[in-house]
Amino acid sequence: MRKTYIAVITLALVAIIGNHLTSPSSGRAVSPEDFAGACAPCGAPCPSKK
Amino acid sequence: MSTASVAAPSAGAALGIDRLFLGLALAATAILIALVLLDGQPLSAALILGGFGLGVAFLKAEFSYTASWRRFLTRGEAGGLLGGLIVIAIAAVVVVPMAALKSDFGGAIAPLGPSLIIGAFVFGIGMQLANGCGSGTLYTVGGGSGRMLLTLFWFIVGSVAGSLSLPSFMALGGIDPVLASDYLGPWGGLAATLASIALAAGLIVAVAKRRGANFKPNRNYVIGGIVIGLLSIAVFLAGGHPWSVTFGFTVWGAKVAQALGFDFSHAAFWQWPGPKHALADSVLSDTSSLTDFGMIFGAMAAAAASHPYARAAWPPLKSLLAAAVGGLLMGWGARLGFGCNIGAFVGGVASGSLHGWVWFAAALPGCLIGIRLRPLFGLSKD
Repeated sequence: MRKTYIAVITLALVAIIGNHLTSPSSGRAVSPEDFAGACAPCGAPCPSKK
Repeated sequence: MSTASVAAPSAGAALGIDRLFLGLALAATAILIALVLLDGQPLSAALILGGFGLGVAFLKAEFSYTASWRRFLTRGEAGGLLGGLIVIAIAAVVVVPMAALKSDFGGAIAPLGPSLIIGAFVFGIGMQLANGCGSGTLYTVGGGSGRMLLTLFWFIVGSVAGSLSLPSFMALGGIDPVLASDYLGPWGGLAATLASIALAAGLIVAVAKRRGANFKPNRNYVIGGIVIGLLSIAVFLAGGHPWSVTFGFTVWGAKVAQALGFDFSHAAFWQWPGPKHALADSVLSDTSSLTDFGMIFGAMAAAAASHPYARAAWPPLKSLLAAAVGGLLMGWGARLGFGCNIGAFVGGVASGSLHGWVWFAAALPGCLIGIRLRPLFGLSKD
């Protein structure tokens, strides 16, 4: 199990760093709720706005 | 899930600090913090550290929503359930008024409808099969449980599937969020929220007494509840929204799927502004991902600092199957239910949003089903 964890941590860090360095950054951490029209933590719209 | 089962050293293993994994956890955390600081994002660093603290707190207190709900449903023991309410009450004191008074802050809100109820119910089944919920999965993965690593993988898969399902389930209908502060103002909303928590606690104690079971939270749940409540406030202040867990999983899974060639341009969920940005931007720009990473490495550091890490043998195949099925159900259920025990229940109730209580009421019967299914996978009902 230790080897599994080392492999997973290594892969995860490479993926995170790779994604961060190759993707735009919004300047601050954001939640989907920060965007206009969001009615849920995942950014879903309100039923009334459909 | 007990950390004793997560991290018990194998026979003959020496007790002591596991320097390798302690070092890995601290180094990984430092790398992530350095990356966000280099981007000029100190609040992102605060979210990682907040998550780290949560990982330590959950692991050291063995603070399990899943096990405490199971003990309540099977034996009427209410201590753990009440400990979970301590977290919410403490967080609510800051979240409700600030979300109402400050435009930079918002509560965890969600529409009320079939999607919420179905999602929470399915999540409840999954959390009992998996032996951990949203927070439980994170801290036990961090704590060295290979079984929960499998749960996390399928949690991620399930949440991406849930993202594709959610628009259809939302089309079944629903009403806009019901927020206490919208009707009663920030302080009336807070009073109503705290009153609802007190009412729930009273009902829970009444059930425990009727079943002749203990209702007093033990020291771990009291101290853990207070610390986790305070850390939840810190995460809220740093991120602008209550602590959430599962959106991070959805983003991770979608990014991997996209890298493997999956096209989300026709998926309604991923065209909503929030998810669209999350998929396109760095994973370190997502509040949920930052606290998730912090929590995993915090729990890892806490576990490795006290005993050899990840030394337990792999559990039987049936148990691993339960872990996978449970993770899949939790992932799908969390997307439909607008979050997990943390995002929907803790965050929702602490925000004064009615959906938090609806989520809880729907998840409990799901837990009952999950508990009944546990023996099929060689798991006990207790």
